[in-house]
Amino acid sequence: MSSSWRLLDTGSLSAAHNMALDKVILSARSRNLVPNTVRFLQFSPQCVLVGYHQAVELEVEEEYCRNKGIEINRRITGGGNLYWGDESQLGWELFAPRDSAGIPNRLEDMYRLMCESAIAGLKRLGVTASYRPANDIEVNGRKISGTGGTEIGDAFLYQGTLLTDFDVDTMIASLKLPIKKLEDKQIKSFKNRVIDLKEVLGYLPPMQEIKKAMAEGFADVLEVDLVPGGLTAAEQAMLEEELPQFQSPEWIYGLRTPQQDNELKRAEYKSTGGLIKVSLRLDQTRKVIKSAFITGDFFAYPERSILDLEAVLKNTSSEAPKVQEVVNTFFDTHKVRIPGVKPEDFTQALINAIEGTNNEC
Amino acid sequence: MENLQWQVPEDLYYDRNDYWVKIQRDEAVIGLTAFGQYNTGDILYLELPTEGTALTRGKKIGSIESGKWVGKLTAPLTGQVIESNQKVESNPHIVNQDAFGEGWLYRMLLQDPAEVAELMNATGYDRWIAEQIQKEKETTVL
Repeated sequence: MSSSWRLLDTGSLSAAHNMALDKVILSARSRNLVPNTVRFLQFSPQCVLVGYHQAVELEVEEEYCRNKGIEINRRITGGGNLYWGDESQLGWELFAPRDSAGIPNRLEDMYRLMCESAIAGLKRLGVTASYRPANDIEVNGRKISGTGGTEIGDAFLYQGTLLTDFDVDTMIASLKLPIKKLEDKQIKSFKNRVIDLKEVLGYLPPMQEIKKAMAEGFADVLEVDLVPGGLTAAEQAMLEEELPQFQSPEWIYGLRTPQQDNELKRAEYKSTGGLIKVSLRLDQTRKVIKSAFITGDFFAYPERSILDLEAVLKNTSSEAPKVQEVVNTFFDTHKVRIPGVKPEDFTQALINAIEGTNNEC
Repeated sequence: MENLQWQVPEDLYYDRNDYWVKIQRDEAVIGLTAFGQYNTGDILYLELPTEGTALTRGKKIGSIESGKWVGKLTAPLTGQVIESNQKVESNPHIVNQDAFGEGWLYRMLLQDPAEVAELMNATGYDRWIAEQIQKEKETTVL
């Protein structure tokens, strides 16, 4: 017999309301005050969110956001900066105890299961999506959903975005990304890294239809029944109590780990097969490649392999031996053909960007 | 059935949240075990307790981020932080590279040394890992 979970749709709320609700529902679940829950959420007005450990000034184009009325807030979950358009995305969240039957203890296994449940929902909409380790869902190599999570007590929250009718231009303008924003070609290529439901299907299904399909996917893969329900009186009271904190500058701008930075580093490297252009967001203090963007005039087969390489480089060490190891492992484990370009060319291009050199061979 | 995959040094104690504990008289050094890292993955951020922080066994004392997951750091013993490892806070990869050496998290003063008896020794932790792996195999739906 499958267990019953609450299906909660909180509609469009401000960033602070949504962030506070994440903590409220998770706390309530950890105290056994509410059942396991699937929540759908949207944001209005539009906002940018940084991950729990990130620094706003390193991740967000604050002046642009202020001028455009884009709210800024901080998630209780991990991961990177993201832009939430005004109802152009659907958020989904799962709340349950860590020791629930069928929920893996190992985080990577858990990410896969959670993403598979969202993929099952997308399938009901006619979208063939797949899991991209560690936390993304993609369609033909292009990201349609990013995910992340956290825990309070013995309960966890796992959440994801689903791009429905996404405004990539505003995302590019509002976040600090691994691209030079004045270069049209770079922007065009960057846009190709993401895809939304409207582009995949050629039309945008009504939001209720999208929610219904996603809910069915979660219910099916997690083997649970979803019963529509609202916030409890206890949750409402907790929300009133928590909201001021999530609206405060201390929460939004406060730092959890002070030692970090986020520099845009670029390099061009000429290989036999063509020019490799690398743009990185680099945390030099912590020696981490936060994100990578690789373009050039070489030909990669399959085309998506460069997007896959960017994905494996994300959040890896920026120390040269580690970069070499990651690139070599990628080419050893993926069927990739790039005429005239060797793995060591990519390694060198990346190291040049990291070290701020721009040698050509 | 014992764990052969993850390093479990003989001279340390362990708790069920996958911390290793090295006892030095009335002090302890705390770190994350190899099996803990297997469950957590590559560590991106660490928020460690600062010097003087009071620790209560089993309670949250900081945060750890891996992938896009923010998990809690809990205290294996009750006491007070003497020193946190600034090196791993600024470069958490060290924990993944050298969990039982350079990757230690913090040193603490024990309030109740008798609590140590409630931790597992290497044999017990080894067995506990094997049980967790078996449990995982039996319960995972995918």
